[in-house]
Amino acid sequence: MFVARSIAADHKDLIHDVSFDFHGRRMATCSSDQSVKVWDKSESGDWHCTASWKTHSGSVWRVTWAHPEFGQVLASCSFDRTAAVWEEIVGESNDKLRGQSHWVKRTTLVDSRTSVTDVKFAPKHMGLMLATCSADGIVRIYEAPDVMNLSQWSLQHEISCKLSCSCISWNPSSSRAHSPMIAVGSDDSSPNAMAKVQIFEYNENTRKYAKAETLLTVTDPVHDIAFAPNLGRSFHILAIATKDVRIFTLKPVRKELTSSGGPTKFEIHIVAQFDNHNSQVWRVSWNITGTVLASSGDDGCVRLWKANYMDNWKCTGILKGNGSPVNGSSQQGNSNPSLGSNIPNLQNSLNGSSAGRYFFPPLDSPRAGSRWSSYAQLLPPPPPPPPPLIEHSCDADTASLQYPHPRRRSLSRPLNPLPENEGV
Amino acid sequence: MLCASKALRCALRELPGGGARRAGTGRVGGGQSESVRDVQFSIRDYFTFASTFENGNVQLWDIRRPDRCERMFTAHNGPVFCCDWHPEDRGWLATGGRDKMVKVWDMTTHRAKEVHCVQTIASVARVKWRPECRHHLATCSMMVDHNIYVWDVRRPFVPAAMFEEHRDVTTGIAWRHPHDPSFLLSGSKDSTLCQHLFRDASQPVERANPEGLCYGLFGDLAFAAKESLVATESGRKPYTGDRRHPIFFKRKLDPAEPFSGLASSALSVFEMEPGSSSMSWFVDTAERYALAGRPLAELCDHNAKVARDLGRNQVAQTWTMLRIIYCSPGLVPTTNLNHSVGKGSSCGLPLMNSFNLKDMAPGLGSETRLDRSKGDARSDTVLLDSSATLITNEDNEETEGSDVPADYLLGDVEGEDDELYLLDPEHAHSEEPEYVLPQEAFPLRHEIVDTPPGPEHLQDKADSPHVSGNEADAASLVPVDSSFSLISVSHALYDSRLPPDFFSALVCDMLRFYAEQGDVQMAVSVLIVLGERVRKDIDEQTQEHWYTSYIDLLQRFCLWNVSNQVVKLSTSRAISCLNQASTTLHVNCSHCKRPMSSRGWVCDRCHHCASMCAVCHHVVKGLFVWCQGCSHGGHLQHIMKWLEGSSHCPAGCGHLCEYS
Repeated sequence: MFVARSIAADHKDLIHDVSFDFHGRRMATCSSDQSVKVWDKSESGDWHCTASWKTHSGSVWRVTWAHPEFGQVLASCSFDRTAAVWEEIVGESNDKLRGQSHWVKRTTLVDSRTSVTDVKFAPKHMGLMLATCSADGIVRIYEAPDVMNLSQWSLQHEISCKLSCSCISWNPSSSRAHSPMIAVGSDDSSPNAMAKVQIFEYNENTRKYAKAETLLTVTDPVHDIAFAPNLGRSFHILAIATKDVRIFTLKPVRKELTSSGGPTKFEIHIVAQFDNHNSQVWRVSWNITGTVLASSGDDGCVRLWKANYMDNWKCTGILKGNGSPVNGSSQQGNSNPSLGSNIPNLQNSLNGSSAGRYFFPPLDSPRAGSRWSSYAQLLPPPPPPPPPLIEHSCDADTASLQYPHPRRRSLSRPLNPLPENEGV
Repeated sequence: MLCASKALRCALRELPGGGARRAGTGRVGGGQSESVRDVQFSIRDYFTFASTFENGNVQLWDIRRPDRCERMFTAHNGPVFCCDWHPEDRGWLATGGRDKMVKVWDMTTHRAKEVHCVQTIASVARVKWRPECRHHLATCSMMVDHNIYVWDVRRPFVPAAMFEEHRDVTTGIAWRHPHDPSFLLSGSKDSTLCQHLFRDASQPVERANPEGLCYGLFGDLAFAAKESLVATESGRKPYTGDRRHPIFFKRKLDPAEPFSGLASSALSVFEMEPGSSSMSWFVDTAERYALAGRPLAELCDHNAKVARDLGRNQVAQTWTMLRIIYCSPGLVPTTNLNHSVGKGSSCGLPLMNSFNLKDMAPGLGSETRLDRSKGDARSDTVLLDSSATLITNEDNEETEGSDVPADYLLGDVEGEDDELYLLDPEHAHSEEPEYVLPQEAFPLRHEIVDTPPGPEHLQDKADSPHVSGNEADAASLVPVDSSFSLISVSHALYDSRLPPDFFSALVCDMLRFYAEQGDVQMAVSVLIVLGERVRKDIDEQTQEHWYTSYIDLLQRFCLWNVSNQVVKLSTSRAISCLNQASTTLHVNCSHCKRPMSSRGWVCDRCHHCASMCAVCHHVVKGLFVWCQGCSHGGHLQHIMKWLEGSSHCPAGCGHLCEYS
């Protein structure tokens, strides 16, 4: 099923964020080494670094693409308290550095007094807007009134969240029935058990963002938050990465019932909660249709979650982070139930019904010299509480995979020893 | 004691023995043209001191040779505000400057060598090595940033610790005791003096996100993770253990801690195997669906076939259902609808049931309708007759001969294999089982056996004097014979001319269901294909929402043609105006290279036709492609072919055209 392609990123410190562009053919990575790299997919499917430049004077936390209608535009945010907007300048075709693109800083947003922890472009139908959030608990929304002029951004809104913010997500719905909405997560680790996820909604009458909802049940630090692509749904799906993965649905209560003018009321349901990562969950990301959620946690695995027709979410795959086979001694499966889930009933029924539904793809040995480094493990989901039997079959399968470590091989040959291209 | 001034020279006074006696004053450095920002005696080397200058230079002096410096090098870009000698490593000097950098120099070599460089977020005002920690140093800034950072010079990008107590600029820092690494004193413009305990420092590294994850368009996943997290089990075990107990972890940063090395991340992209891309169905479906230009029945059949080819049986089934609902030969003209609703409800029941169970969440209220239909069943025989004649008329228009309807109605009994595009019952019969999943079929059967209306109704029909016996048999007896299979029931019933309007509520529910499931493609495609038949039952806003979502998706996959077709076929005004915005092309004349006015393809200035093909020199009609750099272009095919062989402009202007 999945094939892992390992890329020698050549970042000198941790990579904090990866982001695909609108069409899925470009990828941007950002790292603590203060640089951003842009990767382009070649015809053969290889990723080539086409630009790498120093963007900030601190760790770059996040990088995000704007809708291509506005050009090839990136935004980054950093520990150095700024967010920046970058635009790609494609050189004249007789440029000697053909293939090397050039990224120019269009603006620096310096309003924050603390580390800017997230930056996100608003959905396209709202125009060219950008939201940032910072460790001092303020969400700022900027707008470029003239989409042709990326160097002019005006601060439109400042929303105070009272808690150190770590992540934001725009509601992508393009429906006129859904007013602009932004969800903010906080990683404030102070012991007071305040709700860590707040949802703000734009009010047409007051022209301000007002708090619409607070997810009271989420009291642990939140590291990532993501609205699912809406695609014509009447409700919203929100995934949260905290000490576990949680999925909420927000159904707007019909306007007629609420007092007009006030914020929309939502019926909020938690539809899934998984602690299979056994630890902090760092990232959540939705597929394009909002039907599959990927989450990554401290266990170094990516897990995929999907709902069945009854809206029961369950694990449909586990991918090992480095593409290497899951070791035979893996304890992930059986340490899971011992930790205990907050909603054991749901968990058990899910696992019970899903186990054995997914199989290993047939594994052939990697072709020599090929960059297809290895087959990632698409394991059957963590077995239900007494799992020895299935656990065993996993071991047997993985045992057959002990060919030499594939990543080493591809790492020994740096993919793209490009000179650092300082973006102007 | 060493002091320096902003004036032109360094002054040196020496107070030996710590006494108050003024032993001697010496001056070093003459003719310095830059002001000095800092001077520091070397800790180990009695006679050596370093001085830093506004112009970015650092000088090394020996007090025994006051006339000229031992060594001078440019350390920073801009003023060097501070320097500090390493307490243990005699050769190491740390300097900090306005260029936001702290650099560590090895002075033992012949030329000062930069060994480390730390990038901070503001200009560096003070730098102090941390005692007992070979690689740690503390910095503070003179403006903007009020925090004090402690850096590990081997990990120059992320501070190891951070003190955030001060509310104004920190003016000075000092480690309290030369051999105690845990107490730091600081003074600030906020009128406070703080003693920081290193243990209380916040650690930005710990809060930093070690992983990045992004779902790609085609179901591929990009995943970057700290290498220690994804490393093999043996290397990872202790680490995860710590992670679960954050309190332990927090204390871990003691001076004795061995440096774990530069953290780095492994980046990998998980791709779907070629061909199994999780979104290829979307692209294929979008490209192959027929949305307009043919009769409804054909569109439905075509789309059902496309869906089946792609293994999407539920969708295929839905299309078939739609076709049965809306294109059965007994299509009642809209003028007659209000009369036939009652009858329709009774006949529609089994079909509706099957529809429900297959395509919708169960329990959509078929029960209530079921009850109603029982009552209605008896009263509709007259209507049946009248509608039958109407059908005849309708069919006349749709098919060839006037006698077709009779043939058609009898068709299923006689087993005629008509090639009419209207649903051939035999066909439906043989096709259906292919994609009816067995587990879904079972409850259906029970449902039908349990509900009497079907047979009851047939009974009525048989009794009715208005219906010819032949027709009644054809319509009613088949299901009884064929042991109540779903298909035969529904097929018998569509013969009794259901009003499609009756289903529109269900169809709308079905569309909503698909939309909620994330398959907006289906919702929009059905909406377009059915057109007026369902449009009025779905509010404008929802339709618009579906359209915009679908168009957005299509554009993501670069399916521009499909997206344009959808825009064109949409009836919502907000959508159909999408492809009427920004339709202006700005063209330069290929001859004189000046912008063309709006007067067609003849240039105002040079009176040449601008749309000549540079390859064949004919006027281009149809697809014209041109280079935005040199304005030359031509037939799409010609230019493509030309640029395969050459990268230069075919017009010979020497421009390297780019075709993308």
